[in-house]
Amino acid sequence: MTLEILTPDKSLFNGEVESVLLPGSSGTFEILNNHAPIVARLKAGTLKVRSKEGNQNFEIKGGIVEMLDNKIVVLA
Amino acid sequence: MANLKEVRVRIKSVSSTQQITKAMKLVSATKLRRAQTAIMQMRPYAQKLQGIMQNVGDNIDSPELKSYFSQRKVQKVLLVIITSDRGLCGGFNANVGKMGRTLITEKYKDIYDAGKLDMMFIGKKGQEFFNKYKNIKQITDFRDLFQNLNSDGAFAAAEWILQSFANKEYDVVEILYNGFKNAATQILTNEQMLPVVKTKSAGATTSKNDYIFEPDKTEILEDLIPRSLKTQLYKACLESFASEHGARMISMDKATENAGDLINELKLQYNQARQASITKELSEIVGGAAAMAS
Repeated sequence: MTLEILTPDKSLFNGEVESVLLPGSSGTFEILNNHAPIVARLKAGTLKVRSKEGNQNFEIKGGIVEMLDNKIVVLA
Repeated sequence: MANLKEVRVRIKSVSSTQQITKAMKLVSATKLRRAQTAIMQMRPYAQKLQGIMQNVGDNIDSPELKSYFSQRKVQKVLLVIITSDRGLCGGFNANVGKMGRTLITEKYKDIYDAGKLDMMFIGKKGQEFFNKYKNIKQITDFRDLFQNLNSDGAFAAAEWILQSFANKEYDVVEILYNGFKNAATQILTNEQMLPVVKTKSAGATTSKNDYIFEPDKTEILEDLIPRSLKTQLYKACLESFASEHGARMISMDKATENAGDLINELKLQYNQARQASITKELSEIVGGAAAMAS
């Protein structure tokens, strides 16, 4: 599945990932491949991306995530 | 016939002016490119935000959300005037100023007369323009946004506006700025920021996808709507910034061209004067020699 992390200033990440750990407003949760369509609110925290190339962390100040057809978009 | 030395001094001063305008043009061209990239990078964010908002739908239940759409009786107005920090960019700032003045004297005349019209300035020039209107309360907390333009600054300004609107300090908020079309064209824009003008979504386009909403639709909208409003202000700032450099580039290009014309004219004058003085000298010598010979 693909992940895009966008901020108003620039795109932080765009690529193929295996899983994403997100700081949801009502608790941290993880999105894996073929997750059901979801729109969730995020609070400030760390966003952990796991991909074949290795792991990457992003600090966000809250935002929105949308997952649809194995495409994740994070608006931070 | 003009004095030789005078003309020479003028040529020198005009050509140093030309150097300055040429340099300013080049600087603006570079800044314009950077500003355009910033707009480009903002665009996917805005588009995705719009997309998600459409998917979530717009059934608004919570009172907090309703307030963004509430059409109150217009008693207090906030105009957000987005201009540049510096001049020398043609009619760029004057156009926004003129538009603001039209709003004061026509649409919001009564409110202005009652002293209930405030202005928020983003960019220094706008403030200079309205300094003589003593009836207007000036909000300058975010005036220097352009010195380091990023989303944080613009979002903070937008947050302030949203707060004031929620506290009923203002009933209408409008943004005045130069929209960016291309380097040579600015579109003078007047947007209503608050209350949010509902755009008619084409029919009931509730998506077929069965989304999970976490925690629920209302809470997500409570994040999405302010976020899109802040993005709107940030976009206006970015566009104005790009327009500014476009306008300055064009006006400096014209100035360079005019200086070139002026230099050509002065050179012609200089050469004529030089030729005249040589001719005069020659005829004096010839006249002198003829007098001696006779």
